[in-house]
Amino acid sequence: MKKSLRFGTAVAIAAVASMTLASCGFGGGDGDDTASGETTLDLLVPSYSDATQGLWEDVIDGFEEANPDIDVKLEVQSWDNLESVIATKIQGGEAPDIYNGGPFAGFAADELLYPAEEVVSADTFSDFQDSFIANAEVDGTAYALPLIASARALFVNNALLEQAGVAEAPKTWDELLDAATKVSALGGGVAGYGMPLGSEEAQAEAAVWLWGGGGTFGDATEITVDDPANLPGAEQVKKMIDAGATQADPGSTDRSPLMDIFVQGKIGMQVGLPPTVGQIEEGNPDLDYSIVPIPTQDGSPMTVGVMDQLMAFQNDDDKKDAITKFLDYYYTSDVYVPWVQAEGFLPVTKSGAEALSGEEALAPFLDVLPDAQFYPSTNPAWSATDGAFKALFGQLQTKPAQDVLTEIQAQADAG
Amino acid sequence: MGHVLAALPWIGPALILIFGVVLYPAVVMFYNSTRDISQSGVDKGSAGLDNYIEVFSFPYFWPIFGRTIIWVVVVVAATVIISLGLAQILNKAFPGRRIVRLAVIIPWAASVVMTTMVVYYGLEPYFGIINKFLVDVGLVDTPEGYGWTRNPATAFAWSIVVAIFVSLPFTTYTILAGLQTVPGEVLEAAKMDGAGPVRTYWGVVLPQLRSALAVAVLINIINVFNSLPILKVMTGSIPGYDADTIMTMIFKYIQNQHKVDVASALSVVAFVIVIVIVAIYVRVVKPMKEV
Repeated sequence: MKKSLRFGTAVAIAAVASMTLASCGFGGGDGDDTASGETTLDLLVPSYSDATQGLWEDVIDGFEEANPDIDVKLEVQSWDNLESVIATKIQGGEAPDIYNGGPFAGFAADELLYPAEEVVSADTFSDFQDSFIANAEVDGTAYALPLIASARALFVNNALLEQAGVAEAPKTWDELLDAATKVSALGGGVAGYGMPLGSEEAQAEAAVWLWGGGGTFGDATEITVDDPANLPGAEQVKKMIDAGATQADPGSTDRSPLMDIFVQGKIGMQVGLPPTVGQIEEGNPDLDYSIVPIPTQDGSPMTVGVMDQLMAFQNDDDKKDAITKFLDYYYTSDVYVPWVQAEGFLPVTKSGAEALSGEEALAPFLDVLPDAQFYPSTNPAWSATDGAFKALFGQLQTKPAQDVLTEIQAQADAG
Repeated sequence: MGHVLAALPWIGPALILIFGVVLYPAVVMFYNSTRDISQSGVDKGSAGLDNYIEVFSFPYFWPIFGRTIIWVVVVVAATVIISLGLAQILNKAFPGRRIVRLAVIIPWAASVVMTTMVVYYGLEPYFGIINKFLVDVGLVDTPEGYGWTRNPATAFAWSIVVAIFVSLPFTTYTILAGLQTVPGEVLEAAKMDGAGPVRTYWGVVLPQLRSALAVAVLINIINVFNSLPILKVMTGSIPGYDADTIMTMIFKYIQNQHKVDVASALSVVAFVIVIVIVAIYVRVVKPMKEV
């Protein structure tokens, strides 16, 4: 009796063990169905708008129809979570094959990415605008494929400026301060200049001011936030705040909600993006506004260019062909241009720019694009710098400008 | 030995659960806190105690630590005091008691993030309903309202209010359960001995609530200490570190600075702090002691 009990025990243990192992096996095997001859590509993208998911699904449907042996799995994440999701995936050894994101130099430094030239055909590669490819290079090799570009410009509420007696949209900082102060003086909750220094996108507003005063965030090898050239911009931000030319609490105001207030017609001037045009169209089509270049210290043209990229992670070498097929398909003018247009951004390919040259809403932005300056996103420390700006730049509202720049530099260097 | 083997298949699933879900993540947390992990998540070897040194040498660490203690003490104390009153009311028979009891549960049933977002939008300048109300009754004199969630002190204070609000249902119900175990004859005896309501409450009811309160306070301490969503929503857009607790700091290490290793070190510190707080509480209050 006792013996058979032991035997039974052994069987039971074996059964439990094999069940556990089997379930592990199922979990692991889910990812790629190599047995059926299919290649699976994992695509991780952020959501630019409510339409993003649908747009990618259309691209994937078209691609899978032409390439039945390749299965593309789409995952859409919000921008807020994107970077923690990708870090978690890499740490867990489950990097996506194709990833749409911002900073990529850190991945390149960890040797996780394919060089861009290896994952698109020569034709596709040569179709990219040269300045954009240059912005995707680390040590002379492009590791990312430009996806979309965006430039910023000043959105001006014509009615408010007129009411405040400002004849012309400002071009220099002095004119901006003067105009914004006058608009703020209208009262009734109206703010002259919408200044979002909150964590959402503080680095962009920082760039508008610091670069507008002749400063820079640094280059591919060095981050230079704590630099005398950046001080005038930071001081001007304080001047605007102290003069009451901005909305209340600029240090902790996020960009998107503030843009909504501009759309409602309660803010005189705010820096916006191409999609802002669509936002106004939808939210308040009666708004009387114009789009002008961003005012700078001396009035010389400048805009903050942003480029988002696609990058391909080295997971399995046998997936490289599939990745190349997908990217080549995506960047064909017929697929790419409608995608960019629907999202309201600017194209990064030469063929795309040609196709969209007649678009009126994009014209003010295409005009300022040649003067675009970019974040030093090829610097491996940019990601940390970006985080430091988001977390600390808004302190300008209460702290001396120099202290804030020093603190951001310290955190950027530590990362 | 035979008994152990025979028991294994039965307790096996529980053991796997305990090791896989409780112990394994804790061990990984400790392990990560001693590693040098790159921004994109690649392990670059041992870092010794560097991550801990970074945590403690961070100039804002001690203010954050102090704020965490204030956060826990104020939220838990206020929650328990209000819950004692609420439970007392709900324990009395009155018409519609069932509905009132149900109403108290609602903050519990709703998602914490949702509850917090409702308050957050209410506090927004320009369109928030709380701001609108305060402007209309004349308490705030700027027409677009005051940026409650834009300033560290007010955002933190409002977070405390929300945290108390969402902690009330659990605490109230735990205490209510405790109240219902107080035998009627004891209360009667107190009455016979000439004790007034106040004396009865302090001398008879409260001591009997000891174990219910112990559970409520302990679980609340751990819960409130580890609470991220409320502060994340209410203070998320504030620059700098003037409204952070240890939990939001851990989040910022991961989200803004991509330092999983330092975040792990701070998590270990937080783990130790919780244990110390609970140990002090158990030691000083002796909640488990029989009446």
